Amino acid sequence: MALKSMTLKRVLVVDDEESIQKVVSLSLKMEANWDIVTASSGQEGIAQAELHGPDVILLDVMMPEMDGIATFEALCENPRTQTIPVVLLTAKTRTAEKRLFQKIGVAGVITKPFNPLTLASQIASLLDWPL
Amino acid sequence: MPPTLEANKLSPGLTIWHRVVALQPPAFSGQTKLPKVLAQVVAHREWGCVLALHRNKVLGIATCQDLLEAMVRQDPSQLRLSQVVTRPVITVRQSKLQDMSLVLETFAHHDICYLPVVDDQDHLVGVIDKARLLQTLQEQGAAVQQRHQAQRAQLFAEITLKIRQSLQLKEILQTTVNEVQRLLKADRVLIYQVLADGTGKPISEAVVEPYPEILGHAFPEEVFPEDYQTLYAQGRVQAISDVHAPDSGLADCLVEFITQWGIRSKLIVPIVHPLKPEQSVGDAPLRNHLWGLLIAHQCRSPRQWTEFELELMQQLADQISIALSQGQMLEYLEERVKLRTAELTQANWALHQEIKERKQIELALRQSEAQLRLITNNLPVLIAYVDGDQRYRFNNQAYEYWLGQTPEAIQGMSMKALMGEIYYQTIQPYVETALTGAQVSYESELTFKDGRSHSVSVTYIPHIEEEAGASQIKGFFALTMDISDRKAIERMKDEFIAVVSHELRTPLTSLHGSLKLIATGRLGHLSEEGQQMLDVADENTDRLVRLVNNVLDLQRIESGEVTMDAHDCDAADLVVQAAEAMQAIARQQGIQIQTQPDSIAIWADPDYIVQTLTNLIGNAIKFSTPGNVIDLTVQPYFESALPPRPSNATFHHRHTLPAMALFCVQDQGQGIPSDKLNSIFERFQQVDSSDSRKKGGTGLGLTICRKIVEQHGGQIWAESQMGVGSCFYFTVPLSADSAA
Repeated sequence: MALKSMTLKRVLVVDDEESIQKVVSLSLKMEANWDIVTASSGQEGIAQAELHGPDVILLDVMMPEMDGIATFEALCENPRTQTIPVVLLTAKTRTAEKRLFQKIGVAGVITKPFNPLTLASQIASLLDWPL
Repeated sequence: MPPTLEANKLSPGLTIWHRVVALQPPAFSGQTKLPKVLAQVVAHREWGCVLALHRNKVLGIATCQDLLEAMVRQDPSQLRLSQVVTRPVITVRQSKLQDMSLVLETFAHHDICYLPVVDDQDHLVGVIDKARLLQTLQEQGAAVQQRHQAQRAQLFAEITLKIRQSLQLKEILQTTVNEVQRLLKADRVLIYQVLADGTGKPISEAVVEPYPEILGHAFPEEVFPEDYQTLYAQGRVQAISDVHAPDSGLADCLVEFITQWGIRSKLIVPIVHPLKPEQSVGDAPLRNHLWGLLIAHQCRSPRQWTEFELELMQQLADQISIALSQGQMLEYLEERVKLRTAELTQANWALHQEIKERKQIELALRQSEAQLRLITNNLPVLIAYVDGDQRYRFNNQAYEYWLGQTPEAIQGMSMKALMGEIYYQTIQPYVETALTGAQVSYESELTFKDGRSHSVSVTYIPHIEEEAGASQIKGFFALTMDISDRKAIERMKDEFIAVVSHELRTPLTSLHGSLKLIATGRLGHLSEEGQQMLDVADENTDRLVRLVNNVLDLQRIESGEVTMDAHDCDAADLVVQAAEAMQAIARQQGIQIQTQPDSIAIWADPDYIVQTLTNLIGNAIKFSTPGNVIDLTVQPYFESALPPRPSNATFHHRHTLPAMALFCVQDQGQGIPSDKLNSIFERFQQVDSSDSRKKGGTGLGLTICRKIVEQHGGQIWAESQMGVGSCFYFTVPLSADSAA
């Protein structure tokens, strides 16, 4: 069921997998009608974040060259992006990794594979956005 | 006893007659007037008689008494000697003096006191004074007696010496008969042995020609009746001078028997001696028994056996008895020595055997030890024995290969000295635990001689010995395995799984997400068949997602990566959470979930307990039919209050448990066959292999449940009745407050 009542949000999806970008984008558009911006790498993600100032960044962890953690740290160091909440979208589910994610201060972690029908509500829940 | 001249020599060359014959007797012519004679008699008071001679021949004899009586009767001055002497005069010829018995008999027969001795011409040689003769004889008899005793003692000593020169009984007996025969000049001397049946036989004999040998001839019992034996046993001595004499006292049959051997006279003395030592009973005095007889025979003529001979025979019989005793004692001792020698030989043999066996055992031990050392030295494991003072008493060669320390150098070294202070501090608790008698294992990092750190798994096995009913901890065996490779593989596996899971999850996420979005129908409608295929794809993608998630969960739990974040929580809350999480799915299936939770404080990781409950509820939903009810309960559970469990219930890691909470998920499904109850908690084990396809299960859910429960220190098991339903139980420790 689409979350039509949600306030329009802009979401930056950073994932090197194009298929994931597409599924996430379609899911969030269909379920919440959010505005979606995508990036295929960490560097591109930072640039898009600076450019678009999204309400949330969905950030994949395992990416070539600049992984999600490095990207997150760069975003945090960047005054223009450091306030944007970041939700990690990752297949990494090991306890140690989860602890690391919590430690570095991300807004939340959503594990792949996720349910596209509940993804928007999961994000809203993590960020305390009204549904 | 009539002495002979030969035997009566007082000294060499001097006979008794020199002492008793007055060679210058008071002799007068028969015509000599009596007063003259009397005057001489008065002058020679030693004269006992006077002789009247005529031409040096004895006419008559008158004793001093005769002379006195004559003087009383008549006027002596008118008398001549020839008128008062007695005549005819009894004389003895000098040549007859050889026969002392004749002399004595003459004295006795004629009742005279003086006996003139004449030569062959009847000329007077001298006069024998009876009183003097008798006195001399008496004196000489005593000397003879003394001489006899000395002689007998000497002979006896000689014989005894000869007897005792041998300990061989046969030789002793033969020596005895030979010596006795020689000494007594008997015709035959023999030793007759009395046998147990009353008969007997001569066993040693000395016999002179021409008399026949008796040796070897058995004597019938009749010639030696039992009463004889009794008498002899009591010490009877029998000396018979003439066996044919009416007063011999011998039975006719015996006389007849002995006559065939030409026996005329015999002297028999018994040989008695104590019974053999082994025949004596306890400490009772030794009892004499008749062993045999020492017998002397005279064949050529009857013989009057003298006292001396008799005593000699008796004493020799005693010596034989002593020799017998000695012989028997010797035999007994030899037997004992033989027996003891046999025992010693046996003991010696046994000792040799034991030594041999011990040597074999020692050899086997050495071989075994060598083999063991070979094995231990070639095992890629550090093997050591550490004593109660934490000092190494044994180390295998691996210590040199790994740590660069030879076993010889380590021997006696303390663990702290070998391992270093810092490393020792990390292992000290385990060492101390092992020395309390508990086996302990731990993993550690150890720096080898190459300077690299290796992961090691260490196990201490206590060495416990029973002493005086108490267990003594002597030390422990330390086994250290290099698990660096295993650790590396585990790390690689973890990495592999992490990578694979990511690489699987990424396309799976796309696939799963795409299908879900298409399935909403908001991207356009498919034909009925297309919609069916989409459902199949969606359903199986879900299944694949669950499988990947479960594989990762299980891997994390098994690798120890997951540590349960246990804390106090309310079991009822967890039950409610799990029920709510599964309520929507259950409702879709027309199944009701009921909860009757008691509020119980447990010590657990709530997320994992909820995961366990949802897994079990999910299972129950899969195997339930619409209208069924699933009951969720939790209640306090004490070890002593265990409900009776079926024999086929499955338990894992059953320990002595503290007070627990018992969770139960009960369904009304088809049930689980009893033979499956033991295996359903193993991975990919399902009641029906088609279940995974029909029910969309992964085959890992119950395994994950078991791992989670075990991580909490609990147990999990299932009970089921076919057609009625199943009940899955698991226990979780109560919080400390609840348990108290």
